[in-house]
Amino acid sequence: MSVLHVVFKVDGAEYVLPASDVLQMESFTGATPVPGAPAHVAGLVQVRGRVIPVVDARRRFGLPALERSLDTRVVVGQLGTRTVGLLVDSAREVLKLDPAKFQPPPPLVVEGSKGFVKAVAQVGPRLVMLIDFPRVIGEETPDGDGKR
Amino acid sequence: MTASVDLADFLPAYLAEVEELLDSAHRHLMAVEASARRGSAHPKSVRELFRALHTIKGLSAMVDVEPIVSISHWMESSLRQADQAGGRLPESSVEPLMEGLRAVEQRMRQLASGKDAAPVPPGLLERLEALGVSTSVVPGAARPVAVTLDETLALGSRLTPVEREQLTTSVGHRRPMRVDFIPGAERAARGITINSVRERLATLGDLVKVVPLAGPAPGGGSLTFVLLLSTEASDAVLMEAAGGEPAQVRALSTLTASLADDGAPAPVREPELEEPEEGRRSSGTLRVEVSRLDEALERLASLVVNRSRLQRAVADLTAVGAPTRELRAILHENGRQLRDMRAAILRLRMVRVGDVLDRLPLLVRGLRRTTGKPVRLEMDVGDAELDKAVADRILPALVHLVRNAVDHALESPEERRAAGKSLEGTVRLGCHANASGWVDLTVTDDGRGVDAEAVARRARVPAPRDSDDLLELLCRPGFSTREEVTSTSGRGMGMDIVRRIVVDQLGGDLRLETRVGVGTTFHLRVPLTITLLDAIIFECAGLRYAVAVGSVEELIEVEAARVVRPAGAHGVALVERRGQAVSLVSLAQLLGSASAQQAVDATPARGLVVRQRGDLVAFGVDRLLGQQEIVLRPLEDPLVRVPGVAGATDLGDGQPTLVLDLNALGAARRPGAGGREERAT
Repeated sequence: MSVLHVVFKVDGAEYVLPASDVLQMESFTGATPVPGAPAHVAGLVQVRGRVIPVVDARRRFGLPALERSLDTRVVVGQLGTRTVGLLVDSAREVLKLDPAKFQPPPPLVVEGSKGFVKAVAQVGPRLVMLIDFPRVIGEETPDGDGKR
Repeated sequence: MTASVDLADFLPAYLAEVEELLDSAHRHLMAVEASARRGSAHPKSVRELFRALHTIKGLSAMVDVEPIVSISHWMESSLRQADQAGGRLPESSVEPLMEGLRAVEQRMRQLASGKDAAPVPPGLLERLEALGVSTSVVPGAARPVAVTLDETLALGSRLTPVEREQLTTSVGHRRPMRVDFIPGAERAARGITINSVRERLATLGDLVKVVPLAGPAPGGGSLTFVLLLSTEASDAVLMEAAGGEPAQVRALSTLTASLADDGAPAPVREPELEEPEEGRRSSGTLRVEVSRLDEALERLASLVVNRSRLQRAVADLTAVGAPTRELRAILHENGRQLRDMRAAILRLRMVRVGDVLDRLPLLVRGLRRTTGKPVRLEMDVGDAELDKAVADRILPALVHLVRNAVDHALESPEERRAAGKSLEGTVRLGCHANASGWVDLTVTDDGRGVDAEAVARRARVPAPRDSDDLLELLCRPGFSTREEVTSTSGRGMGMDIVRRIVVDQLGGDLRLETRVGVGTTFHLRVPLTITLLDAIIFECAGLRYAVAVGSVEELIEVEAARVVRPAGAHGVALVERRGQAVSLVSLAQLLGSASAQQAVDATPARGLVVRQRGDLVAFGVDRLLGQQEIVLRPLEDPLVRVPGVAGATDLGDGQPTLVLDLNALGAARRPGAGGREERAT
């Protein structure tokens, strides 16, 4: 019972999301910044007629920014009724993974990833990390009325 | 696996339908209550209420929402008895039924937000069941007949107790039946799908459950829908409803034959369930998901964008001397057509204000109970219409005002008697559209009025000079949190929220009129639509932005030499406008794309003058690019719902452009924010 997963890279490491949570993948041509939005929000992009926020995975993971390239992708994910993009270094692979193969992340990963990694799996020689999408996207509402 | 996929498909339609039924149930229950209080019967409303719950139960059983099935089942049972008692419902039954409706509503909301419906609240079923008993001693009531099910055929293991009961406890000639429907391309081509079969069967009896089964099916299919129902219809009729072969019709029991002759009373038919169902479906209205309307608007927006490109291209041709007369005439015609099209689509999005305010009588009823004050709600809303987007936003503000009026403005009956007023307080809601694209709403009470002196003392400020000042005071954020304010002043709960909705979110206007001892009126003016608007497009710190034309008082040129910079003003400067000093705020700095120092170094070239809480403020920008009509797309995601950004639009480059609300932006992010009132005192 294997499940399709979308694989993407951030700073050399490989992450996966269940394909059922991913609507599509888009190349990235820049986002419109939204003043007052949380720091990890890169801005707004238009995807097939819809305007969605994009979260910068590097900024979220506390990694240095990377010049955007032809490989840069927006992984468009569905989170309940929300549609949110995740800006990643590249995404070009889909893997069949057995959910049973996922292990809890080793303590070192837990520490380094601020809880963004839910589980890890070994695929041949590679280690892929299952991310906690809701957590990465963040549900915090920006300060409602901008007081203080 | 198949079941969940199937449910997800049904859910939106299910939620929409049940929501409508709940509205009707609420309305009728209140009508029943009013009659019950007068000690009279209201057979029509009891019947409508019964019908609504009956349908809710049936629909919920289909999508397998067990808690709602149980609640509506027991409500239905007690109402059936009330119906048989000639539409008489004891007043004491109203509250448990209300509670039942609330419980159903809560569960609907849970489902709508992607959660599972919570189990039935403890005690509720018992209370509802007790209603049935207390009203049940009615001569001629149908005696239920128990029937034994064929467990295998009836998929016994997948039945809930309520469903089992629905199948087995049937009145009159009803028998539990199983219909197997196998979907197929050829049947779909004839219009026979699971949905059509489901609808047909629902008119023939009580459809209790639909179970999709995966696996080889007769006729070469791989999926079978098993529909379990309790019906009087003959096998042939059922077979026909299921579209004929390869469908199957089977009885779930053999015990029903001897029913009629054991001395049971004449079968009581469920009251008129089929006929109005048909009537409802054939009415001239159509329910459409808002997202589809939005999509149509999107398409229109891209046409508009395309047209401006075409216009530019033709202008270029004209400039080099090409013969474009014909082209320009066509373009002109095309523009007119697009405007008509736009108006037509906008009309689709209009909802009647009266429908939006449907819930207010219910709110007032609840308040009457909790406050113990006799209140009458008068609605004078006529046929005015509003864009759905505006209606959705304005509703909470109106709820707030009505709640305030009952909670705080209306006096207790004793006080009212002492003041020589009628004991029953009145809250009146008025609405009318005026010609210029605005809708005026009023919320009036005949309560104690706002005591400006008391409010001022509370806020420790000098007494307000006029009602605008008073409103300003009432709308101070956090004003309401101070203890005791509401009982002494009669107003003030969360007025800042009301103003934020009306003024900041909708770009409307809020005014107050009050006389101590006589009452208070709030005037709200909101735009008919916020979806399409004329916008000024400008550039600031290298990015393009749009702002609603209506919110800008004036565009000014800023001459660097004439800008005055008071010391210690956080980058706020002053410019002269018709002999008056106006503060000049760097928009780049407000948006965080320039520091205070940069803002000082680079004086913006243009200013957008906006009235902010009565004062004029100029927002400095780099360049004005023009004026055009835009489609505003609100930003729904919490990540990007920030004050000062009304939404995004597409100017034709495929990149979202932010539509700013300068008023809200200035208020939220004034350098040294929130200071004016404090400094003024």
